[in-house]
Amino acid sequence: MNEKTISEETGFQIQPDEGQLQDRDRKHRRVMRATISFVVVILALIILFFAAINIGSLQVSFGELLQGLFVKYNENVATIWDLRFPRIIISMLAGAAIAVSGVLFQAVLKNPLADPGIIGISSGASFAAVLITAFAPSLYFFTPLVAFLGGVVAFFLVYCLSWKGGLSPLRIILTGVAVNALFTGLASAFNSMSGGDMSGVASIVEANITQKTWGDVVTLFPYVAAGLILAVLFIGECNLLTLEDKTARSLGINVNTTRIVISLVAVLLASIATAIAGAISFLGLIVPHIGRILVGSDHKVLVPFSALAGALTFLLADTLGRTIAAPYEVSAAVIMSVIGGPFFILLLRRSTKYAN
Amino acid sequence: MQIDMTNTITEQKPAMEVKGLSFAYGSNKVLQNISLQIEKGKITTIMGANGCGKSTLFSLMTRNLNPGKGKVLLHGKNIQSMKLMDMAKKVSIVHQYNSAMDDITVEKLVSYGRTPYMKLMATESEEDKQIIDWALEVTNLNKYRDREVGKLSGGQRQRVWIAMALAQNTKILFLDEPTTYLDIRYQIEILELIKKLNRDYKITIIMVLHDINQAIHFSDHVIGLSEGKVIVEGRPSEVISTESIQKLYGIRLNVATVEGQKFVLTV
Repeated sequence: MNEKTISEETGFQIQPDEGQLQDRDRKHRRVMRATISFVVVILALIILFFAAINIGSLQVSFGELLQGLFVKYNENVATIWDLRFPRIIISMLAGAAIAVSGVLFQAVLKNPLADPGIIGISSGASFAAVLITAFAPSLYFFTPLVAFLGGVVAFFLVYCLSWKGGLSPLRIILTGVAVNALFTGLASAFNSMSGGDMSGVASIVEANITQKTWGDVVTLFPYVAAGLILAVLFIGECNLLTLEDKTARSLGINVNTTRIVISLVAVLLASIATAIAGAISFLGLIVPHIGRILVGSDHKVLVPFSALAGALTFLLADTLGRTIAAPYEVSAAVIMSVIGGPFFILLLRRSTKYAN
Repeated sequence: MQIDMTNTITEQKPAMEVKGLSFAYGSNKVLQNISLQIEKGKITTIMGANGCGKSTLFSLMTRNLNPGKGKVLLHGKNIQSMKLMDMAKKVSIVHQYNSAMDDITVEKLVSYGRTPYMKLMATESEEDKQIIDWALEVTNLNKYRDREVGKLSGGQRQRVWIAMALAQNTKILFLDEPTTYLDIRYQIEILELIKKLNRDYKITIIMVLHDINQAIHFSDHVIGLSEGKVIVEGRPSEVISTESIQKLYGIRLNVATVEGQKFVLTV
C-alpha cells in the first residue's frame, strides 16, 4: 500500500483544528438551546397554571388566592379550588402522559408519525371505558385498568395487522386510522344507544373535562406517575431502539421483549389519560416533534421535555377552549384536532422519509 | 489501553467452531452440514457468489438466525444457550446496514457499545470512558467526537460503527461486507483499520467480503462457500487458483502472481 491509502496516523494533537472547534461550538449551542427550551417551558407552565386558575367567571387576586388556600376560608377561592384546580391538574397530567406515550410509540415503532390518538390506542381505551361506564358503573374505580386493556387490544390489532415482514411507517398509520375509526364508531354507537345522556359515557366520548373532581385527580395521578417513572427507566432502551434491530441485538438487547415492554408503558400512559380526559389526537405527535427540534432526539432529554411541554400544550388547549367562546366551552380534544390536523399534513408533506 | 494482552500466547483452541450446521428456508436448503473452525487471532473471510449461503452462515454465527441442525460454539460453548448480554461481551458485530439518529454525537453513539456492561441506571464509569476514548483513538475519530453522526461521510460513519463494536471490548469482531457503499479509498482505509485491529490488538476477525482480491490480501484464512457447502478453505495464497475461483463463482478467471502476491484478474 502506498502512503495515500493508509489513513493518517493519529498524532497527539495539542491544538484542536477548525472542524473540532466548530463541532464543539455546535455542541455548545445545542446544549444552550435545550437548556433555554426547558426554562421557557417550565416558566410558561407556571404562568399558565396561575392564569388558568383565574380565567373564568370567578376571579380572585393572587393574594386572595393564597390567603383563601392557606389562611382562611374564602367562598370564591373554595369554588375555584373545587372546580378549576382538578381540571387544570388533569389537563397537565393527561398532557404529560399523552406526549410521553407518543415518544415511546415513536421509538418502538421506529416511526416519528406514531401518535396514540392517530393509531387508535386512545379510541380503544376510550371504548373500553365507555363499556364499563355503560354496563358496570359500579366498577367505575377500575375504569383506568379496563381502559388499559382496551388500549392493549387496539395496539395488538395495529401491530399485528400492519406487520408484513416488517413494519412500514405508512402501513402502521393506515392500519391505525382504520382501528381508530372502528373504536371511535363503536364508542359513539354505545353513546347513542344509551340515549346520549349518560354523562359518564358522553364525557369520555366527547373528551369533556368540565365536570372533573379531585376524585378524578386521585384516580389519574398514581397511574401517570407510575407510567412516567417507567418511561424514564427505559430511556436507554429507547435510544438503542433507534439503531437497527440487529445492531441493538448485538449490544445484548433482546429487541422483541424490550419493544413489548415499552409498548405496554406507552399504552398505559395513553389509556389512563384517555379514561379520564378522553381521546386526544395529535398531542403525542406534535409535542415530541417540536421537542426533537428544540432539545434533540436523545430520549434522556426528549422524555422529560415532552412531559413538560405536553402538560403545557394540553393546559393551553383546555384554557383556550374555555375562553374563546365563553360562556360556551370548546373541548381540548377539539382544539388539538383543529391545530393538529394541519400540522400533521405539514409533516407528511415535508418529509420524504415517511411517505414513500 | 484496556486490551488484555495475556491471551496472545495462542492456546490451540479455536475461537469459534461450527459443527454440522444446516439451515433451510422452507424446502430451500441454504446451508448443508457445514463444519469449520475459526482460529484465534486470525482474519478469516467468508466468500462466495451471491446466494451461496455466506450471509446465512454469518447470521447463524452471530445468532441472528437459529440453526435447523448443528451448533455454533464460542470458546466451546453453544451460543444458543448464552445470554445475549454475555455474548455481547465476547463477540461484537458490525452489520452491513446501520442507522442512527442524525443529531447524536459520535462519542455518544460509540458509548452505546458499553451497553452490555451497563448496570440499570448507572452512569459511565472511568473504565467505560477509557475504553470509549481508546475506540475513538484507534478508529481515528478522536477529532470528530463532538460531531453529529448525520454530518459524517460514509467512510467516517463506517468507522463509527466499528468504534462502537470496539467499545464492547471483545476478542472477536464480525463484519458483514464492511466496504460496501464505500469509495475505493475508504474501502482500503477500513480494511487497513481491520488489519491494524487484528495485528495490534489481537482481535479475531471474521468477515464477509465481496471483493475477491481484497479477501485474498487482507485475510489469513478464507472460507469459500458454494451452494451451501464449504468448497474452498485455507490460506489464500495456497487455495486461490483459477480452478477454485471457477468452483466458487462459476467463471474462469486468470490468477496472476506479482511479487509473491496472488491477484485474480477480474476483467
